[in-house]
Amino acid sequence: MNRKAAITVNRSLDEVQRLWRSSDWSPDHIDDDKATVTFAVAPGDRGTEIHVELASPGPGGKVGEVVETVVGAGPVAKAKDELRHFKQLVETGEIARSDAAPEGERVGRKLKQRPAQPLAEHELEKAGA
Amino acid sequence: MPVPPRPVDATLHGVVDYTAGTALMTFLPRLLGVRGTRTARQMRAAGAAHVGYSTLTDYPLGIAKVIPYQAHLAIDAVGAVAVAALPFLTGQWREGRRQWLPHVALALFELGSLAMTDPTGRGDYHGDVEAVRVANTEDPHRKIHDGPPAVAPVAPAAAI
Amino acid sequence: MRANVWSGRNTVQVEEVPDPQILNDRDAIVKITSTAICGSDLHLYDGYVPTMKRGDILGHEFMGEVVDTGRGVENLAVGDRVVVPFPIACGNCWSCRHELYSVCENSNPNAGMAEKMFGHSTAGIFGYSHLTGGYAGGQAEYARVPYADVGPFKIEDDLSDEQVLLLSDVFPTGFFGADLCDIRGGEVIAVFGAGPVGQFAIASAVMLGAERVIAIDQYDYRLQMALKKAGATDAIDFSRDPDVVEQLKELTGGRGPDAVIDAAGMEATHGHGALHAVDRVKQATRMESDRGHALRDAILACRPGGIVSVVGVYGGLIDKFPSGAFMNKGLQLRAGQCHVHKYLRPLYERIRDGQIDPSFVITHSLELGEAPNGYETFKHKQDECVKVVLKP
Repeated sequence: MNRKAAITVNRSLDEVQRLWRSSDWSPDHIDDDKATVTFAVAPGDRGTEIHVELASPGPGGKVGEVVETVVGAGPVAKAKDELRHFKQLVETGEIARSDAAPEGERVGRKLKQRPAQPLAEHELEKAGA
Repeated sequence: MPVPPRPVDATLHGVVDYTAGTALMTFLPRLLGVRGTRTARQMRAAGAAHVGYSTLTDYPLGIAKVIPYQAHLAIDAVGAVAVAALPFLTGQWREGRRQWLPHVALALFELGSLAMTDPTGRGDYHGDVEAVRVANTEDPHRKIHDGPPAVAPVAPAAAI
Repeated sequence: MRANVWSGRNTVQVEEVPDPQILNDRDAIVKITSTAICGSDLHLYDGYVPTMKRGDILGHEFMGEVVDTGRGVENLAVGDRVVVPFPIACGNCWSCRHELYSVCENSNPNAGMAEKMFGHSTAGIFGYSHLTGGYAGGQAEYARVPYADVGPFKIEDDLSDEQVLLLSDVFPTGFFGADLCDIRGGEVIAVFGAGPVGQFAIASAVMLGAERVIAIDQYDYRLQMALKKAGATDAIDFSRDPDVVEQLKELTGGRGPDAVIDAAGMEATHGHGALHAVDRVKQATRMESDRGHALRDAILACRPGGIVSVVGVYGGLIDKFPSGAFMNKGLQLRAGQCHVHKYLRPLYERIRDGQIDPSFVITHSLELGEAPNGYETFKHKQDECVKVVLKP
């Protein structure tokens, strides 16, 4: 099973490491997993690479993991979501939200998208707007 | 991952209607080895009927568009079931496999095609040109043919 | 508010939906004064783009007045008149910093979905299926505009909506197509497709100094517009003679055009009989998602050592790509969704200075409620339709 994910953030190595460890933006799933996280300077002016290698299978065991991956909710997909959120917060100051995915990139949302129209009043609170 | 819409649109369904119908009326009975039998006559009748109501359907390949597309699809379904049941109702199934298998196969083909057909929307023009002409605040013909060109040629040095 | 929503293949409806709200600090809400239907909207309408959901608001070409801004937006004030570019770009990622706005790394909250199709995600786009984020589109009374400190372009001069609306998409896209051709003056450029993007590609090639610009289409009225308004010098009507490659050779003394712009895309309609029929059946049965006639002919017709510039929209895979011709003739294949933000100011200045009046492509202006008829008329090229503008 592929257990690696990586993303590049357009900031210096020091800044990325500092922000990664700061309590505001700690990525819960990756931390819980006790994954191996390494940082590397990206070539040229591209910033910093963050490499995540997930640890052994979770409570569902190997089978649970395969099932999750097939429906698109696997641990690697969740790790990727968190990496994307981190990159968005660091580079733009906010998480990208759309009408179909108002909480931002989320594995659970892939199968259950809202229609691409504005949220009704009662939905706004749930989305954390 | 999201499911794509059903692949067969109204135009393609029409192509299948006419092709299958014509095949039934012409070479299919001989191909199936039932020439001269009751099955052959039934195939030809089914083919003729199918082509017949297809020409009357309101879809891109219809000629006189009187039968709504969804009604056509309903007739397809009911007709398929009827064709499958026919040999058993007439008792001809006892005369051998060739006197009922083609019917069932044809019915399965028809139902399969229906399962892949997208019943929503239509393939042909269903807008109201007159309403558009009335509502339009522009004059397309004048826009295209009258007046000066919209571009003044400029020296290449003015590029970005 | 009222909005034009996707309701199944070949069906759109104008319905009552909730008003948009500020979700992020960098958002703005725009009250829309004019919005247009794009040729690429037809791919959604025809059902060729997966991930559409009933209720999705369509439309990615719009402009209007700012009515609300989030706390992080300082460059815009309520009341400002803005044109909104169709790609949603954050302005901070490596791509945006290098002016590659249409491949912004941050603006698509469905990046995982897009990665499965393209290998990587690209920018979010207004009203263009869930693959590009599932953002509500602009064929409505109001729209939420993310990263409003980056996208919306302020209009301060006294120009009509019709003169500037097309800065949101089709004018920059056509210009981008011509820009990719590296025109230095004196070239022969061929443009496949005389829809709005093709018209602007032709006009841009003229503005950039091309000596001859050849318009290719099957609808005479569009070729007339290209010749009379956009500045095309020649026209090829392939409904009379489908061998476009041969006709282009004749027009260029056997050499072939120096660069070819594909402004047709995945629903290219022409093609020599049999190959076209096979393509249509394959596309209808979803065995092949894109029809590649225009691209194939562009590669075969372009002179050796030339450039093929692709701005027509493609979504998936095509069969029978002429790799031998492409490689052996030493062609450059350049493509992209236009990086609109980069072109807004230079093109605005050309409009303001009178070099071009983009409103020439607008043949239909309808009230928002007529959107369903507008789509049908545009799709089937009825009533000499080239571009439809909707007024909410």
